[in-house]
Amino acid sequence: MGMVKQPVFAEIAPAARRAFFALAVFAVCLLFIFPVLWLILTSLRPVSGVYYVHRGLEFTLGNFAEVLRDERIVHAFVNSGLIATLATVLSLMVTVSSGYMLSRFRGPIARTWFGTIYVFRCVPYISWVLPLYFVTQSWGIYDTYLGLLLPHIAVHICFFSWLMKGFFDGIDPSMEYAALIDGCTRWGAFLRVALPSAIPAISALAVLCWLFTWNEFLFALILTGQKTPVITVVMAQFVSEMGLQWNLMSATAVMALLPAFVLTLFGQKYVIRGLKI
Amino acid sequence: MKVLGQSRRRFGEQERFMLLLITPAALLMALFQVLPIAIGANASFRDWALNNPKKTWVGLSHYIDVITDPAFLQVVLPNTFLFMAVSVAGALAIGLCLALVLNRGFRGQKLVQTMLLLPLMVAPVIAAIMMRWMFNDQFGIVNVVLEAIGIEGQPWMAQRWSAFGVILLTDIWLWTPWFMLLLLAGLQSLPKEPFEAAAIDGTTSWRVFRYLTLPMLRPVIVVCVVIRSIDAFRTFDIVWTLTGGGPARSTELFSLYAYVHAFLNLDFGKGSAAAIVGAVIILVVGLLLYRLMDRVMKV
Amino acid sequence: MKWFKTSIIKTWVVACAAGISLTAGAAMAQDKELRIGYQPNPIQDASIAMMEKWGAKNGVKITKIPNSYGVYVEKMTASLTSNSDQYDVIWHNDDWGQLWAHLLEPTDDIESLKYADKWGMAGIIFNNAQGQNTVVPMGQTFGVFYYRTDLVSESELPRTLDDLVKISKKLQAEGKVKFGYVGGMAMNHTWFTWFWSMWSNNCDVLLPVFERANAKLAANNWKSALEEPCMRQAAEFWWDAINTHKISPRGMPAYDRNEANAVFMAGDAAFTVGDSVYWATFNDPAKSKVAGKVNITFFPLGPNRNEPMAWNDIWGWAIPKSVPAERKALAKRMLSDMMLDEEGQRELWKRTGAPPPNKELWDKIAKDDVFMQQLKKFNLDVTNKVRSAYYFEKWPGVHKAFSDAVIKAVTGSREDIPKALAAGASLVTNAAK
Repeated sequence: MGMVKQPVFAEIAPAARRAFFALAVFAVCLLFIFPVLWLILTSLRPVSGVYYVHRGLEFTLGNFAEVLRDERIVHAFVNSGLIATLATVLSLMVTVSSGYMLSRFRGPIARTWFGTIYVFRCVPYISWVLPLYFVTQSWGIYDTYLGLLLPHIAVHICFFSWLMKGFFDGIDPSMEYAALIDGCTRWGAFLRVALPSAIPAISALAVLCWLFTWNEFLFALILTGQKTPVITVVMAQFVSEMGLQWNLMSATAVMALLPAFVLTLFGQKYVIRGLKI
Repeated sequence: MKVLGQSRRRFGEQERFMLLLITPAALLMALFQVLPIAIGANASFRDWALNNPKKTWVGLSHYIDVITDPAFLQVVLPNTFLFMAVSVAGALAIGLCLALVLNRGFRGQKLVQTMLLLPLMVAPVIAAIMMRWMFNDQFGIVNVVLEAIGIEGQPWMAQRWSAFGVILLTDIWLWTPWFMLLLLAGLQSLPKEPFEAAAIDGTTSWRVFRYLTLPMLRPVIVVCVVIRSIDAFRTFDIVWTLTGGGPARSTELFSLYAYVHAFLNLDFGKGSAAAIVGAVIILVVGLLLYRLMDRVMKV
Repeated sequence: MKWFKTSIIKTWVVACAAGISLTAGAAMAQDKELRIGYQPNPIQDASIAMMEKWGAKNGVKITKIPNSYGVYVEKMTASLTSNSDQYDVIWHNDDWGQLWAHLLEPTDDIESLKYADKWGMAGIIFNNAQGQNTVVPMGQTFGVFYYRTDLVSESELPRTLDDLVKISKKLQAEGKVKFGYVGGMAMNHTWFTWFWSMWSNNCDVLLPVFERANAKLAANNWKSALEEPCMRQAAEFWWDAINTHKISPRGMPAYDRNEANAVFMAGDAAFTVGDSVYWATFNDPAKSKVAGKVNITFFPLGPNRNEPMAWNDIWGWAIPKSVPAERKALAKRMLSDMMLDEEGQRELWKRTGAPPPNKELWDKIAKDDVFMQQLKKFNLDVTNKVRSAYYFEKWPGVHKAFSDAVIKAVTGSREDIPKALAAGASLVTNAAK
């Protein structure tokens, strides 16, 4: 059937389909990056054009220059990088073992732990950011790196333990049995056998964790004072009762985008390879 | 799933090992999550105005206030469930499509992938402000484009359903990459053999997707959907930035309700009670969702 | 792999060291220091510049502790109630006057307060239960009615809301401007549409109109004015402005002040109401397309009122009760000296357009400053001023309930306006109780 038409169709079809595919991909990409492109464009407009971005063609780097004049900004970038990196490393360290436990063991302890994780994941931040402020204050760690870092780690525990369990579920435990039979300790089996095979997964979560912490607003706003400014707090300070300075806010946001972009570009390889639940 | 050690002894070397594995995580959680939540929960039973914390016991009266508030029952909860369902389903559907396309591999795939991850790199609050300006009826680029092609622009943020649509769009835009990333990873870890066999049999691609890919992706999808649903239920910052729950409370979600009581009206007791009511609801809904999805997708 | 492990250990060590050194650092006390809790903003920055000048002269270190606006009240309230010794001087505002009065040090013994404007520091706003004042002003802020001098001459200015519609429609018909009026309407931007039009029509949030004594409001059972004819007129005015006359953008019910100011500064509206401190921004060619073409005048009046209306508030500084006595004294000395610092206050005026705290300077500045003359005429010297908020603890909730009701009215159909206002009335009263 259709033998007459087929050759013509067959000639056009692959090319047309490829073109259509490319077009669709292009359109989807455009939709996804448009808000970010618009943000970048906004940050390059003079104050008189930050809202009416489409009106007028004046562009300037003045917003960036003005943001960079603030001596706190460099400090904030360093702090954000430091906090995000430390929080990533530390929260992965604690959730790797917790996820491993959830994956490899059954019984009341594992069940209780999983239940705890699930229940506390459900409580909205609204009810505990302020108590968190009281807590850090009464322990004397408010407005210190520690006071910012530890809650950031804590907040990742539920989510990452759950995902980490998924990773270990996908890794065959027979190697660990073999190691145990060979006289390896449980710690040895975990650290020397299971952990290396989970490294790609860990790297993957690391990228996600880093991005989440880098962009985190609420905790940062509540838990920082003057000594540990982070980049999101600097951004938030362009908002006042008299309105917001969108030119400076967008410029700061674009600057904050850069490290995140670089990290994702290079980290992505690990993300895709690693997130094999 | 095999299990390391089946010993049934009550507290042996294995249990010690298990506890040690979770100790750092449990300690951090106890100090910086459980304790603050307990303080908040305690406040929900007390007369606890932020500026004047008398801390007298009021029993369940805050809870009764919340669950008998017509605004909470008739506006806030339906909005929240609608938001959760559409946002999670939307991000899952688009994320799955994108993951399937990316999984085929094509020229420029890496570049496309990076671009699709951009939403994860912007602070959500900034993204929400950007979206709000983009949907402004005067200077927003959306209306400018629509008017350029002859369609009348809309006052997006001043009408209930269009404002709700913008909130959903923003949330889906923010979270689709997250789904895409996890599902793509799931797809790439699937074994190759069943797919090769299906190709030899000449099975249609829809059938391959429905009876092979989807069931094998089940664990990933279930976990992602449940985690995301819990988070969507608690969504606060982007909605607060985009509409503040307006116009006239018509897009108010549960976390905004709790926020307004706790921090705008400074009634921390009532705000905490609202937060805990919400936590209990999503706890139950999450479990049901988990069971339901697990069962439906097993078919 | 090995790299991975060693790097983990290294990070642990660094993290612990950083944590310990920083907690230790925080505990170290400076002997002569004042810590200022504030929210970065031109007015506060200018005021703090005066503090720093004073500090340099008197050998006191001024430490600035910025807080974000979005969490300022929450955090500061939490800090005040937990008696934590974090700030010696904090930003204070009429909105929080009654929330914090019991947590703040009385400031009646600051001598130079006698130079402050009495209206802005009224007892109903800032006094504690013992009748002591708790604030020191840093500057005056309020909303003013702006118009475009290139579109409307002084003789044609709208005196009534009807005039505002007529003149706007005329300008729009002539193609001179896209919209007549633009102003913030969403929650917390209520002043720029709802409040001014309501007060201009002798209307208010609660009854009796313009009453601010909480005892009297309570005696009246916190009755809302939403069902009064004057409020219906105001709601219908905005409904018509947006939908019938189209002198305002359709999206306006969702506008905050940023959006309204953006439309005005782009030259797309002839009139707006905005913060007085935006005068400089509106007239700055780098920021505004209408620079040099903006002036201020009286608010147009509704049918129920025939004398000018204006409001003004102060921003101020306060001292937490928990601050040790000697630092309280130091802080008071600083705040007192600041009110006498003429040069610094002139600088504050120049940088922000906010009338400085020392009222005696207003006339001095007005001698050679046109904008101060304008502000005096259209605001500061207006008799029968209106209080721009209420001063009881539940006001934020009442404000939100009011805002929700009127926005519902203006975004629904015109026939439903009375229904929406009536539904809101009981919610406003409940929120106040």
